[in-house]
Parts: sequence; C-alpha cells; structure tokens
Amino acid sequence: MSTALPPADGIALEGVRVQVGDSLLLDVPGLVISPGERVAIVGPNGAGKSTLLRVLAGWIQPTQGQVRLLGRELGRSSVPLSRAQWRALRCEVGLMMQDLHLVPRLSARENVLAGALGQLHGREAWRSWLRLYPEALLAEADAALAALGIADCSAVRTDRLSGGERQKVSLARLRLQRARLVLADEPTSALDPSATAQACAALAAASAGPGQTLITVLHDLALLPNLATRVLGMAQGRLYWDLPLCAVSDGLLSSLYQAADATPTQASRPSTTDEPRCTPPPRRLSPRP
Amino acid sequence: MKAGVNPLGRLVPRGRIGFMALVCGYGMLVLLCLGTLIAAGDLSMGRNPWSNLLKSVGEFARPSLLDVWFGPERLEYRSDDGTLLRVEDRRQVEAEFLAALGRATWVTFQIATLGSLMAALLALPLGLLTARNLQAPRVLAWAANAVLDVARSVHTLVFGLVLVGIVGLGPTAGILAIALHSMGTYGKLFAESIESLDMAAVEAVRATGAAPSQVFFHAVWPSVLPQFVGSHLYVWEFNIRDSTILGLIGAGGLGLLISDAASLFQWGRLATILLVVIALVMAFDALSRRIRRALL
Repeated sequence: MSTALPPADGIALEGVRVQVGDSLLLDVPGLVISPGERVAIVGPNGAGKSTLLRVLAGWIQPTQGQVRLLGRELGRSSVPLSRAQWRALRCEVGLMMQDLHLVPRLSARENVLAGALGQLHGREAWRSWLRLYPEALLAEADAALAALGIADCSAVRTDRLSGGERQKVSLARLRLQRARLVLADEPTSALDPSATAQACAALAAASAGPGQTLITVLHDLALLPNLATRVLGMAQGRLYWDLPLCAVSDGLLSSLYQAADATPTQASRPSTTDEPRCTPPPRRLSPRP
Repeated sequence: MKAGVNPLGRLVPRGRIGFMALVCGYGMLVLLCLGTLIAAGDLSMGRNPWSNLLKSVGEFARPSLLDVWFGPERLEYRSDDGTLLRVEDRRQVEAEFLAALGRATWVTFQIATLGSLMAALLALPLGLLTARNLQAPRVLAWAANAVLDVARSVHTLVFGLVLVGIVGLGPTAGILAIALHSMGTYGKLFAESIESLDMAAVEAVRATGAAPSQVFFHAVWPSVLPQFVGSHLYVWEFNIRDSTILGLIGAGGLGLLISDAASLFQWGRLATILLVVIALVMAFDALSRRIRRALL
C-alpha cells in the first residue's frame, strides 16, 4: 500500500513522520486517498488526528516522508512551492479547524464571503479590498447561511455569535470556497442534535461536487454513516486500521479508545522499529508492550 | 513556588523571600529620599501654610466667572487719602476676560488636535517597524525604537522650549512639541496593537487562498483599526490636558492666561480657567468613550 502509485490529484502519504522534540506526533508509513472519497478519522484524544489533518492541509511540513496533495509534492526533499503555488493550493483545500478561525470583528456574512476570496480576479479582487463582492456571491453566501438556519445572523458580528452559530458560519464559508479537498476537524462539536443534522447536510453539500474529497475528524461516532464511507482508526500517532464503513464494528471502536488508556507513556515515545503497520488485521489492536 | 514566573528574571531571588527583599529595598529607597531632604532642610511648608491655604481656597471658591453677572458695575479704586483713582465695571472686565479665555481654549484645542494627528501620522510607520510580529529588518526596527524612546522620554514642555527658539512664539511651536512627544506614545501603542493581532483570523483568511492584500483588508485592518482609533482618542484627550500648559512657555493657548493669573495671585481667575479646562476634558472624554464603545 505504501508504494502504490497515487492518483494524480488525490492524496498520498509516504513514510510521513511528524516529530516535535522527542515526541512523535504522527507516524504514517503509507496512506492513499483518491478523489471523491469520504474519509473519517476516529480515535482518542492526542491520537494525532488533528496533526494528520494539518499535514494534509499543508500547514505542517512532516519531519520525514513525502506528501502528495492534489498533484503537488510537499516534503523536505521536494522542491518548495512558490507563493503563487501555495495560494493556488490553499484555494483548493477547504479547512475547518477546531478553533474555527473566523475573523471576530467581521459579520457572519463577510466571514462566509472570505471563503470566496481566492476565486476573485482582476477588478473583483480590487473591489474585495473594500469588502465589496459580486451580487452572485452575496446571494450564494445568504443561501449558505439560510441552509444552516442562521440567515438572521448574517449581519451580526462573529464574536457576538454563540459557539454553535460560529461553527455554522465556518461551514458556510467552506461551502463558498468550493474546495476540491475539504478538511473538517470535529465539525459538529458545538451543535445540538438538530443542528448537527443541518451541519452534516451542509458539509455534504460543500463536498458534493464530482471529485471533491471530504476528510473529517469525528468524535460523534453516530455521524459516521452520514459523513464517511471509509474510516481510519488512529491512536498514539499511528494508523491502527483503515476500513470501509461497513466493516467498522463497535468493538473495534471501543478497543481503539482503550488503546490510549492502556499505555499512556507509549504515545510520547513509541518504538520506531516494531509497530503496527498502516493496515493491520483489525484484531491486532491491542497495544504493543 | 520556585517555578513561578518572575518578571525580573535572574536579577532578584525568586519566591517569598525575594519579594520581601524587594519590599525592603523599596522601603530603604524611600527612607533615603526623605532622610536626605530633611538633612538638607529642604522639606519645609513655608511660613504660614494654613492661613495661605485658607485664603487660596476662599478665593478659589469664588471663580471670577460669577462677576460677569454678580460683580459690582462701579468698582472704585481710591488711594489712602480718599481720592478716586479709577472706576472699573467689573462685569465688563470679566466678560472680556471670558472672551479671551474662549479664544485661548480654542487655540489649545487646535494645538492638541493638530499635534495629535501629526504625531499619529509620524508614528504609524515607526510603529509598523517596531512591531515584533511584522519582523522588519533588525536595523530599521532598532532605529525606529530608538527614535520612539527618545521622543517619549523628552517632555512636551522641553520640546516646546526648544521649538519656541526655532519657530518663534505661538501655536506652531505648540503643535510641533505635542507632535514630537506624542509620537513616542503613539508608536508604542500602535506597535502593541499590531503585536496583539489575532493571528488565527489572519490564518483563516490566508487559508482560503486569499492574496496578501486581501488578507490585509479582511483580517489585519478590521482587527487593528478599532485599536488605532482607541489609542488616537486616548492620546488626543491626554494632549488636550497637556496643551493647556504649553502657553506657559509661550507656545500659545490657555497656559499664558494660567501663568498671568497665577503670578498676580488672581485665584478667582485661575478657578475660572480650571473650570473651563475640566469641562473641556470631561466633554471630550464622554465623547471619546462613546466613540470607542461604538467601535469595539
């Protein structure tokens, strides 16, 4: 798997390790995600899920290994991207991080419209300096907010919204960005049950286009059927299993969460030689001594 | 206890004993100041402080302002043998003083306003250079910091004295003096508001693939603008107070009237001037607070 040729515009990780000081945050020998896939990452706290997402977003350069992201090489050994290439890549990767990353003093609508900034060119780009946007985009932003049930909040400043409303603003921005790869870190953590359904629908809509890939980090395992067809189980910085949704069982999930409790010290300094490979048989979940 | 963050670093021993040592050092410094003054005999309160105080307070309590309406219309000045020297209409004299006070107040306001604006414009590039998170070239940042430190440490009055010698008496010297001193304050405030910028917002807009100019107008500008306006209002208000004394050195405004009244022991007039200054500052403070609240 680790040597499989990745599709031209998919995602491929080869021997990726992220190390900060002595602690190994992420160790993924191989992972391939083809365009149009819907992948969920599950695992206990500190399992490296968010780190993996940041690597996929190009925010973290891995200490070792190679990342191929939408046809571009990111890694220590590859040619560094130019500024314009980075900007083009950021246009194509839609991000929803845990702390949402909204501009607090702008209204909800303006934050949503910021998602479309990368698509503006020429005169429209100049006009965006004054935060003026084409009519079509304004309508699209209002529609995206309405779809999430927060049309009333569109003129309210983001720092005056509740946590759940902010999460919805972030989702609506994702929708306007029309990214080829959508990365969402716990997209529904602050939402009530009915809002969660709306948010899932919005996230699905934001990544419904042909070839649009969706990768989510989830804690609410009940959402798996809505957002994923493939599930990655992570613990202690490593990929424990990589299965289609239908093969994921409750026992598998609960043993994944126990894996972190059993060996809290191993997470910081795992041995580098003998460790579970990327896709071990599902029952090899018990942590190595 | 020992792990506590000590802002003074390694200069002072940490923990409770270190703090006690600091307090003792401070106490000894105060005693040293007091002791040397007493030893030199410089700590006197004058010959009869109490009667002077009562007299001054009594005159202060009757601001000259009241004379415009309640003063005697025919105040006669006579010599000791009873010959009439001069007759004065107190109401008219005080009304004229009030008009002069109004003009001087306007000049003071002009000095503060134009001086503050000039200071803000001068300080903006220097603040950008000194803000640490913008990572300007080391040499430029160091130079800008030095300029700001010098500007901040020289008092407005000292700048005023020098400038009166250069550009002559009048409000021009006052405006420039305010501008030069406040530049230091502005630069520091600007740099601090840029340093406290919400980088998550900047990252957010950058992550959508926006160009640097778009990032500036969507993330940097909206976060920094209210802080800039807030610091401008704050320093402006401070300068209104500061420019009231610039007239003492001939740089225009209320200060000349203050020095006249004080040197003639006309406490009633001084009281009028102070009332105007207080009213001016309070009105401006109320206004600026409202603007700041609307912006934040």
